[in-house]
Amino acid sequence: MTGALRIDGQELPIEAGDTVLSVAARAGIEIPTLCHDPRLGAAGACRSCLVEVAGEPRLSAACTRKAQEGMVVDTQCERVERHRRNLLALYLADHPAARPLSGSSELFDMADRVGAPRDWGRLESRRDQRVDPNHYVHFDAERCILCARCVRYCDEVEAVNAIALAGRGPETTIATADQRSLLDTSCELCGGCIDTCPTGAMSEKVQLLRGAVEDARLEKVRTTCGYCGVGCQVDLNVDRRAGEGGRVVKVTSPEPGSTVNDGNLCVKGRFAYDFLDHEDRLTTPLVRDAGGVLREVSWDEALDRAAEGLLAVKRRHDAHALGFVSSSRCTMEENYLVQKLARAAFGTNNCHQCAAT
Amino acid sequence: MARETAAPEAEVYGAGSFYHLLRDDGVQLRVCSGTPCRLRGADALLAAARRSGLAAEPCSCLAACDTAPAVLVDRVVQQGIGTAEIEVAARAGELAAQPDREVLRGAIGPEDAPDDSLAIHLHREAEFDGAALQWAGGLGAPAVIDEIEASGLQGRGGAGFPAHVKWRAVREARSLPKYVVLNADEGEPGTFKDREILLRRPDRVLEGLAIAAQTVGAGEVHLYLRGEFETPRRILQEALARFAPVLPRDLVFSFHAGDGAYVCGEETALLESIEGKRGMPRIKPPFPVEHGLWGQPTLVHNVETIACVPEIVKRGGPWFRGLGRSEPGTKLYCISGEVHRPGTYELPLGTTLDELLLAAGGMEGELRAFSPGGASSGFLPASYRSVPLDFGSLAKVGSMLGSAGVIVLSRDADLREALLDQLRFFEEESCGQCAPCRIGTRYLHEAVVGAEAETGAGPRLSRAAEVAWEMNEGSICGLGAAASKPLTSALEHFPEIFAASPGHGGAEE
Repeated sequence: MTGALRIDGQELPIEAGDTVLSVAARAGIEIPTLCHDPRLGAAGACRSCLVEVAGEPRLSAACTRKAQEGMVVDTQCERVERHRRNLLALYLADHPAARPLSGSSELFDMADRVGAPRDWGRLESRRDQRVDPNHYVHFDAERCILCARCVRYCDEVEAVNAIALAGRGPETTIATADQRSLLDTSCELCGGCIDTCPTGAMSEKVQLLRGAVEDARLEKVRTTCGYCGVGCQVDLNVDRRAGEGGRVVKVTSPEPGSTVNDGNLCVKGRFAYDFLDHEDRLTTPLVRDAGGVLREVSWDEALDRAAEGLLAVKRRHDAHALGFVSSSRCTMEENYLVQKLARAAFGTNNCHQCAAT
Repeated sequence: MARETAAPEAEVYGAGSFYHLLRDDGVQLRVCSGTPCRLRGADALLAAARRSGLAAEPCSCLAACDTAPAVLVDRVVQQGIGTAEIEVAARAGELAAQPDREVLRGAIGPEDAPDDSLAIHLHREAEFDGAALQWAGGLGAPAVIDEIEASGLQGRGGAGFPAHVKWRAVREARSLPKYVVLNADEGEPGTFKDREILLRRPDRVLEGLAIAAQTVGAGEVHLYLRGEFETPRRILQEALARFAPVLPRDLVFSFHAGDGAYVCGEETALLESIEGKRGMPRIKPPFPVEHGLWGQPTLVHNVETIACVPEIVKRGGPWFRGLGRSEPGTKLYCISGEVHRPGTYELPLGTTLDELLLAAGGMEGELRAFSPGGASSGFLPASYRSVPLDFGSLAKVGSMLGSAGVIVLSRDADLREALLDQLRFFEEESCGQCAPCRIGTRYLHEAVVGAEAETGAGPRLSRAAEVAWEMNEGSICGLGAAASKPLTSALEHFPEIFAASPGHGGAEE
């Protein structure tokens, strides 16, 4: 599709597959959204992106509305702004008064931005608060606005479908089959639901238990995840005021669309960072002395010792007595080098990688 | 089911938990909590059932307001059940639907109308000669649509949308296959006309569907009946067997039973439900005529709309148009509440409340308020009794004809209770998908309850207008847009019910 439409008086070109929201975003016109995530299909469920389309009696969701030639859209008229204020006031009336522990909530940010009234009172909570024994994901039904980003993420990105919208009317909530623990479902505990949640309804259990550090105090350090060879980029969220030189208190993914992992992480990448500060963690090479006791040595010394041992085996039993197994945590280049080492340096084809079979 | 269908478990659970008849909650007996049923002793029935140790729960309107109070056992709606029967059943330790108590045919009228004065004619025997279908075949599709246009037929499910616009759009849609869907998920409180049509004139419904399918080029007809309509479904299936010889051989009819969710009467929620999902209305556009069942062009019509089609085809559009007074055609008006002969009356569109009351044997007591089109239309005071009951006139006074489920209340009725019935109904039947409706319905309900109980929540009532505005502007579907009507109309026409009463606090500031 080609052509143009008008948004807030600006003539804007339409590209194939465009929605009103995507055209506006390219032009820098901000339309508030809560249920939108660029990784997911549009849902139109949160109603925050409603805009006025000339000639139509009802407001239209910008995220689902296909951009059409000649359309005239208004995103700033009083009707749209009144709708935003009222909508956010209703959300807040059905929500805990305080921000979540981490402080970050797209819902509260938006309520501030649109000037939503805060004096509409609070409704009685009708939703079940369940405690799930899994170690990672906590769901606070009271903070949930039912935008279903988590449900759609679990379906459309992870293809895991562990959770769904359940119940009806005031009891509508996010649930697993038969309200079972996530541990007894197809859930892989990737935590993508936490990442996409705009309100903090889905959150990291460990943050709740240890006391979350405010996002503003965290410094993000970008690195490559070491758990496998995919090369996901992760942001280590470092609390500089903790420990010596800081402490990693959370791992998040860079913004969707910015790195190879497109905002996604797996259970290890997101949650398995406690080893960083664990007392059992090896931080220097160790070599056994004649008495069998481990002592700290330099890398050069350790590598010399390993080479010596390997060459000794080769001398005594021939190269075919050696075998090299590399790890799926190595990159492709590292795996290449391991087989090169086996074949060229030691002269054996006995090389393997743990993910090869 | 997840194993059989390979659908994800959570999704199956999520869909199942949406429909109250599918919930595994051990409920043996459901008692209708609609206003007409409560006026006739539903509360006492529910209390007796619970006292007797039965697992009994209130439920939303069962489309049997004319035989109130209505009770549901095993998906069969029962009438004439008294507290004594309930106690006996409880002592016997078993509660089974009783065939002789099943709600079948209610009161209808007018009795002695000539053949050419009514479009549906509930009194006449069903005919299975297929004359209208044959006539339509001879006319050809464009001429049939022209007749529908000339007739001025408006959708009788509630929205009053011109039928020919949908027919033409589906016929002209290029994508194949196309479908025709019958909306028989009758659930608007005070409405039971579709039940009467299905029971008495299944021929009209099936012939109308066949004409529609033939005209728009659909090879499949899907009939979605509310789950409590097991008997209407059986009668429709029997009628289909008798009709088979004159129906196009390759036209497929599929039956779908609802599972207890008012919102599935909204056409796109209904399509979702047929597809096996939670009955959550879709975002429009696109509309079903373009993107309907399984994404294909689909013509969705209410039972009454489709039942008008055979006579329009046989007698011509202008004939149908001439039947109406202020708008085209006759209309099945349901009337219940405090009236002598609650029932279904086919009268010219634009009939007034007084004329309808006369047809139904008159008021019990003096009229105070009425809902002209179910809960979605709110309350009007007695002074509006001469407003023509049609789509345009009622819209002008801030109400709506909707499904023409008229509920009348006398001076003795507790209007505040009737208001709470409707607010509770919308809160429970909201699909929960969008915030304006999900939170708005709760907000309004709690505002009225809070004002009554003096919990300090009273000031919420002063925001009712703003909440209603938001529900109207921000909701995805018509349920949310209509759900504020009971309260806004009560505030406008009956402010006294919110005023101080003995033992209660003052009115809203």
